[in-house]
Amino acid sequence: MGIQINALKCNNCMACEMVCSYHRDDGFAFLSACIVSYRAKEKKDYFGMLLKEEDVLIVARPEGIEINKIGEEADPDKEADASAKPMLLREGCDRCEDMDDYGPMCVAFCPVDAITLD
Amino acid sequence: MEYLSTDKILVIDLNSAQVEEEELDESLVEEKIGGIGITKYLYDKYIEDDPIVIGTGLLSGTTYPASASGQITAKSPVTGKVCHCPVIYKAGVEIKYSGFDYIVVKGQSQSPVYLWVHDGVADISDAADIWGKDVWESTDALRKFVGDDLLQTMMIGPAGENGSDHAQVCYNHWTSPDRFGFGKLFGSKNLKGFAFRGMGLIEIAEPEDYVERSLEILKEVKENDFLEKKGIAQILSALGEEDVEAWIEPIIHRHSADFFTPYATNTALFIDEDPGLLEESKKDEPGVLVSDVYALLGFKNIGLSAVDAGRALKACAKYGIDPFAVAQFSGKTTIEEIKESFDSIKGVVEIPGSGHFSPWCPTRPIFNDFGLSGDDEITAWWERRQAVSMIFGIQPIFCLMCPELTEENMLELASIGTDLELTQETLDAVIDDILG
Repeated sequence: MGIQINALKCNNCMACEMVCSYHRDDGFAFLSACIVSYRAKEKKDYFGMLLKEEDVLIVARPEGIEINKIGEEADPDKEADASAKPMLLREGCDRCEDMDDYGPMCVAFCPVDAITLD
Repeated sequence: MEYLSTDKILVIDLNSAQVEEEELDESLVEEKIGGIGITKYLYDKYIEDDPIVIGTGLLSGTTYPASASGQITAKSPVTGKVCHCPVIYKAGVEIKYSGFDYIVVKGQSQSPVYLWVHDGVADISDAADIWGKDVWESTDALRKFVGDDLLQTMMIGPAGENGSDHAQVCYNHWTSPDRFGFGKLFGSKNLKGFAFRGMGLIEIAEPEDYVERSLEILKEVKENDFLEKKGIAQILSALGEEDVEAWIEPIIHRHSADFFTPYATNTALFIDEDPGLLEESKKDEPGVLVSDVYALLGFKNIGLSAVDAGRALKACAKYGIDPFAVAQFSGKTTIEEIKESFDSIKGVVEIPGSGHFSPWCPTRPIFNDFGLSGDDEITAWWERRQAVSMIFGIQPIFCLMCPELTEENMLELASIGTDLELTQETLDAVIDDILG
């Protein structure tokens, strides 16, 4: 069972990021989220999502999903992305296992159903 | 104020370059609730200093659906009325998370400055390096300086520096709901703008109840058929401008939403790139993000092609000028003539109702009829809905779409979140005060 992300359905609203952080902090914040809206390329209107799981970083881009094994050497042909670094320091997704009433919060609160659980 | 709040009001005196902090008293929230209830109170408190007051709604940046909005309250240098401009995109939420619920800016600086607000700290910074630059250059320069592409800005461009009546305060790179000439007011104070960034934590009195009720309301919201739609063209279709969709469709790239807003109220137009491109464009500036439906319609109505309308909107965003006013009053019909006319545009934008709220926001219901009929009833509803959206911090266009976002459940969530007893009578009194 895993979290699936459809970056083309995503409207870049950051709800997933907020509720993921809430699950960890019991307050409203963005700092602890293991799923974040990727929105650093604002002028290019290029956005998607990053999800850190225990040992992989999932990059959900509009053109497709990329799964990167954490700890593996980066592709030297690809430009490093500064936004990936703080993600690697965060705890991995636990699918909100303590939130019995909701399941994964990012799935429950995504207003456009871009995040699902299969 | 312990909950749904940073507990801090920032007071900046540009005359003396002093920065002070005040606590946000619970009693003020009990009396004025938040958002423009409190920005209006602070405006009146500091009225002798011709203040600009920035604020956030009581529910801004939380799990209440569409809790995206901040506010600017000030006296319009054009109409002379105290007006309230929504802060949209992701900028409104960033204000609260940068550490302050409200920011009062008094007086006038002797030299150009910008205000850098981050993680509970505020600095009055020298703007010499960005004064004279356009909105895009200024935002890019500050993001590069701070080293953070997620920095959120509220900036003026040359229009504000030159004192145009139609100068806007823009957010990041994009035009804003400012139809009040607040950009001119910023310029008159030698205030280039604000930069916000923060990683704050907002506590909730009853977090589990707050989140549970938020999700129940979200589920009701998601029952609406209109959520199958996206973007500005479909808003215009719902307002009776059906032919905009076919005109603009060839250059639409994607749609995006303000914070936690189920409907994507922003549409990116690609004018120098293939709109169907899914990968990251190799061009630095492939297009423009548009939230202003009437500006887009205005450029269509003067005969521009969709691509030239996109170019005009981009030029307005860079110059920091209200694109609706440009479309209405420039009298020009080519993109080059339009750009050359920016400094000479004259005309008064009609502000509906009591004149406090921006007609950037359509003045009638969208997608749902809310059971309204007759112009007077719709205008009164629109004004109240605008007031409510900016008291609680809800995206003001989405408020016009979604009947499930009620005054009752906003008050309920505000009470759960703060542990204060906030009543309909209090809300009615706050709205009466705002509408004057």
